[in-house]
Amino acid sequence: MDRTFLTLRISVVPNSRGGTKRSRGHDGFVRHMKSVKGTSMLGRGVKRKWSSLEGSEAEQLPDAAATEDKRLDAALEDSEEEDRGDRRSRTDAGHLQQRQLVLSLCLKKLQHYQAGVELSLRRSVLLINTLRQIQEEMQSDGTDVQLGGVSRDARLLRDDFREDESVTCPGCTEGDAESPSPPPSPEPTNTTPTDLHKPLPNVVGHTFSDAGSAMGYLSDLALDDIFEDIDTSMYESSELPSAWAAGSLWPVSVSFWPNDDDVKLCSSAGSLQSCLLDLNELDHIMEILVKS
Amino acid sequence: MGEDTDATLTLNHHGFLPDHNYVTEADIISTVEFNHTGELLATGDKGGRVVIFQREPESKSEPFSQGEYNVYSTFQSHEPEFDYLKSLEIEEKINKIRWLPQQNAAHFLLSTNDKTIKLWKVSERDKRPEGYNLKDEEGRIKDISTVTSLQVPVLKPMDLMVEVSPRRVFANAHTYHINSISVNSDYETYMSADDLRINLWHLDITDRSFNIVDIKPANMEDLTEVITAAEFHPLHCNLFVYSSSKGTLRLCDMREAALCDKHSKLFEEPEDPSARSFFSEIISSVSDVKFSHSGRYLLTRDYLTAKVWDLNMESKPLETYQVHDYLRSKLCSLYENDCIFDKFECAWNGSDSVIMTGAYNNFFRMFDRNTKRDVTLEASRESSKPRAVLKPRRVCAAGGKRRKDDISVDSLDFTKKILHTAWHPNENIIAIAATNNLYIFQDKLNSEMH
Repeated sequence: MDRTFLTLRISVVPNSRGGTKRSRGHDGFVRHMKSVKGTSMLGRGVKRKWSSLEGSEAEQLPDAAATEDKRLDAALEDSEEEDRGDRRSRTDAGHLQQRQLVLSLCLKKLQHYQAGVELSLRRSVLLINTLRQIQEEMQSDGTDVQLGGVSRDARLLRDDFREDESVTCPGCTEGDAESPSPPPSPEPTNTTPTDLHKPLPNVVGHTFSDAGSAMGYLSDLALDDIFEDIDTSMYESSELPSAWAAGSLWPVSVSFWPNDDDVKLCSSAGSLQSCLLDLNELDHIMEILVKS
Repeated sequence: MGEDTDATLTLNHHGFLPDHNYVTEADIISTVEFNHTGELLATGDKGGRVVIFQREPESKSEPFSQGEYNVYSTFQSHEPEFDYLKSLEIEEKINKIRWLPQQNAAHFLLSTNDKTIKLWKVSERDKRPEGYNLKDEEGRIKDISTVTSLQVPVLKPMDLMVEVSPRRVFANAHTYHINSISVNSDYETYMSADDLRINLWHLDITDRSFNIVDIKPANMEDLTEVITAAEFHPLHCNLFVYSSSKGTLRLCDMREAALCDKHSKLFEEPEDPSARSFFSEIISSVSDVKFSHSGRYLLTRDYLTAKVWDLNMESKPLETYQVHDYLRSKLCSLYENDCIFDKFECAWNGSDSVIMTGAYNNFFRMFDRNTKRDVTLEASRESSKPRAVLKPRRVCAAGGKRRKDDISVDSLDFTKKILHTAWHPNENIIAIAATNNLYIFQDKLNSEMH
């Protein structure tokens, strides 16, 4: 290496179209060019919950992202060091914190849906595998998946959902008045999400894949009631019963697995998913028509 | 580490773009590839454009100074499309360019976006016929009564014109996003790989292709692994390799079966259980795989390392190089800002003795396999004056002992990533794509490959 590439003549060629900007305005571009400090259901909420877990005041500063990151980094670095040192002690607070963060980030990324842009299959698969890994670990740990009690993790996630719901619409705040404890039965009493994804594997070429099993996982943690409160005013119409409000995540999961057979999903039995899909498509088509 | 030698060539400036300028997304370079002689260098960008650079011939007055690369041709290869059935946009971004070996005066290259591969012919025209009987110089039809004699049109020299034309369009064969194309050593076929399938094409036939690998499970819910890169063996036209998101490499022999779902060899390094974390799988995902020129080795890149594998040893890599191990403790943040999903490419030098790959902060790394020495260099305007020595850079751990000019891990700019690099097939010339800028570096001291 002493001799190569010491003396270099350079050509620096800016790849440029000479003034005519063809900006695509993709969210993906933003993601590439800056760190994502997006506001979404889980991201910020989780961080604030972390700080309250740690006993300090929850930081409400919206621009505290940088400082939060630094704190997070410090916490995570510590926890990762601990992890490396002692794999057996999985009840490490640091490890649990990291797991919680990764879980919430995973879900947030999986839910990020951008109309008109196909998600990367590789990324989706990697995210879902991470989710599965966390799920397995939580199940093998035993404590976190007890459906009778409210696990700390479950409460964390649920509370985060609630926290963000309150800014959506006044009508949804009624849900906050409900009892915060989830139904104690092992089987989720509100089976809307799980029921919905059962007929779907029958649909040719279409799966919810792990968004569905992620939903199943979440409902195992008895978090179903949170979905009732999610704002679905975008999809609401007089024909849709309120129970379908839970399906606001469904259009997201559709885009994971590109439909192989180019058949639009119109399953029978009035599946919630297909109706919301249709509405989504309708919106999209309307956008295109309006723009053209 | 060395001396500056006298270089008297002028820098090829195309105008400076200050680093703080808004980067037009369409100008972001997405692939870089030298042709087989190194005379031409092609880049593709996110806007679907291909720019070809040509190396100026050696100047006779200065026999030891090689030529610079100048723009030879620019054309729009792919346009954005809209898939109406799925209501999804198909990006025009050029994912890969591969040159065909030159067989006549024209040059051919394959360029691909997510769904469609195109074969382009690049040819020169430096003569044109003059002296038509029925048309005048501007092409207007002559009045027949003025034609009194017959003349034979002659070819007269003209200003060089580079013409690019699409010769083939290979479309509608991929449901998923194409990540790789590779020309076979038989120069008749090539393969295209997407997330779940690999297709074999004949260069002359566009209406059909053969599916040679299909890892799509019957139930998509069972999907846990995707294809990330694929390449033909440089010498054996029946062998190819593909890598997966789980960090495995599969060598397949097309003679064994029509559908190469069963691999001939599986290269996988057993996981170190003590190093397992939530990100283990993501960072093990292979982002690029390249055969050595000799065909004896494979070079792979995953998020933190570059590995050299011997084709005869499947159990573990021959060599492992840490590209930026200082990121290992930052994986959670990199996961959060999606950087952990970045796909870095890697490259061999012509003699397979040095490997190169990119990193963040516009750094790129080179590892000498023989001397085991490595270097970190930076591709940036500030640190690269014309004809200057590229200073080796160093990244130090946060809070650690810092030498002058070292950069701390926390100061790294993760938006400046060098994903695409290429090495001249014969000489020590490298092309580095840094966002929308192309850097071409040459070793003046030692142009010949060692």
